Amino acid sequence: MILALTTQELRAEPELWTSVHSLRHEIFVDEMGWEEIRRPDSLELDQFDHDDAVHHLAIRNGALAGYQRMLPTTRPFLLSEVLTDLCEGPPPSAPSIWELTRYAVAKPWREGRRGVSSVGSELIAGFVEWGLARGVDQVIIEFEPMWVLRALQLHFLARPLGFQRTYGRQQVVATLLKFDAETLDVVRHYRGETEPVLASNRGQNAFRRAS
Amino acid sequence: MTGFDDTLQVIGDIQSSASLEQVCGNLLVYTSRLGLDHVMAGIVPDEFAFASRPAATILFAKWPQGWMDRYIKKNYVLDDPVVLQALIDTSPFSWTDAASRFAHSNSSGRVIGDATEFRLCDGFALPLSTLEGAMILVSLGGEGFAASPKERGALALVTAYAAGRALQIYGAAPRREPPRLTGREAECLRWAAVGKSEWEISQILGISEHTAERHLLNAKLRLGAANRVQAVAEAIRLGLIA
Repeated sequence: MILALTTQELRAEPELWTSVHSLRHEIFVDEMGWEEIRRPDSLELDQFDHDDAVHHLAIRNGALAGYQRMLPTTRPFLLSEVLTDLCEGPPPSAPSIWELTRYAVAKPWREGRRGVSSVGSELIAGFVEWGLARGVDQVIIEFEPMWVLRALQLHFLARPLGFQRTYGRQQVVATLLKFDAETLDVVRHYRGETEPVLASNRGQNAFRRAS
Repeated sequence: MTGFDDTLQVIGDIQSSASLEQVCGNLLVYTSRLGLDHVMAGIVPDEFAFASRPAATILFAKWPQGWMDRYIKKNYVLDDPVVLQALIDTSPFSWTDAASRFAHSNSSGRVIGDATEFRLCDGFALPLSTLEGAMILVSLGGEGFAASPKERGALALVTAYAAGRALQIYGAAPRREPPRLTGREAECLRWAAVGKSEWEISQILGISEHTAERHLLNAKLRLGAANRVQAVAEAIRLGLIA
């Protein structure tokens, strides 16, 4: 199940809030080596955790198993402010384009050696569902070039926004992924699940009201 | 030479390719400027390094025929430093890097030495892993490969798009022959069908958990299934397991 929460809604759940920011620290600082965002309290948090951000939380057995953060491109976002060297030319910006950042699967939920785990694919199904429901059909993602292959396997239309660079221990390339209902079908087929993954209650509805 | 618009153009061409041959052609138009005019792209099963190795599936290739024949006849794949390196690490690398890493092995040296006879002197290889965890290895070769770090980055990106498009086309095409399973794969799948975990299967069959996982992964790949449940269903449908 994926909960989509605004920053305000996430703050109202102190336990979830702490799980989110410590998972982010564990993965992006400790594991991937992004030293510039290391924090003494081991909670990774930045200027983009603002009121317009939407946090997608994959919940398994009541605990946080995966996470991604959606940022509108109609106000400053990572590619436009921080990762500027990943983009050739002006970064895309529109209400229908959001930036997907901090995609993370908690260690116990990674399966096998190389493939994509079920939590990982649930997050993908989550942002596609979330986007299609609210007129968002493109996301900007800064990911490892390996993901280009996987995005194409899932029938996203992909276009690089710049050349790849090395960050921490990773090669990263900014990519614009466009999707539609067919993409969702392919993602669901791949997962072997036809049911929506987004929690239909609180998270989504509260967000619809907020927007 | 590797302006960004250029790169976008070739990626566009690759994505609008209608056949594997076209993907191959569009990729080579781009790479030949870097001295790479031959390519081999295939799906390498995880079990490749083992004696019971199943055959790799070729997605597309433009390879000197004589070299291909010799490669298969002499079973060079087991000693090919490019394949060995790709099994260890999924970063892009040049053939020279791989050759020096396996320089201690005479047989690996012979593979590289033989390749130069066919004017494959150096090359660039990109291992990629699919959603399912299978490896796609794209190996590009030629007489005078030279690329700056930036060009290598662009090359890796273009190659990833080519592999992705090739998989889309390959996945959409009807399979040439019905899939088959090895005895062990069928056995593991049969136990998985009755709800046994990888660990339980490993205990039942007296193999390592990793090997059980491998067999199941391979069965899934051979059957073109998205997950284990589908693999079981498909295997039953095809009469491969009872």
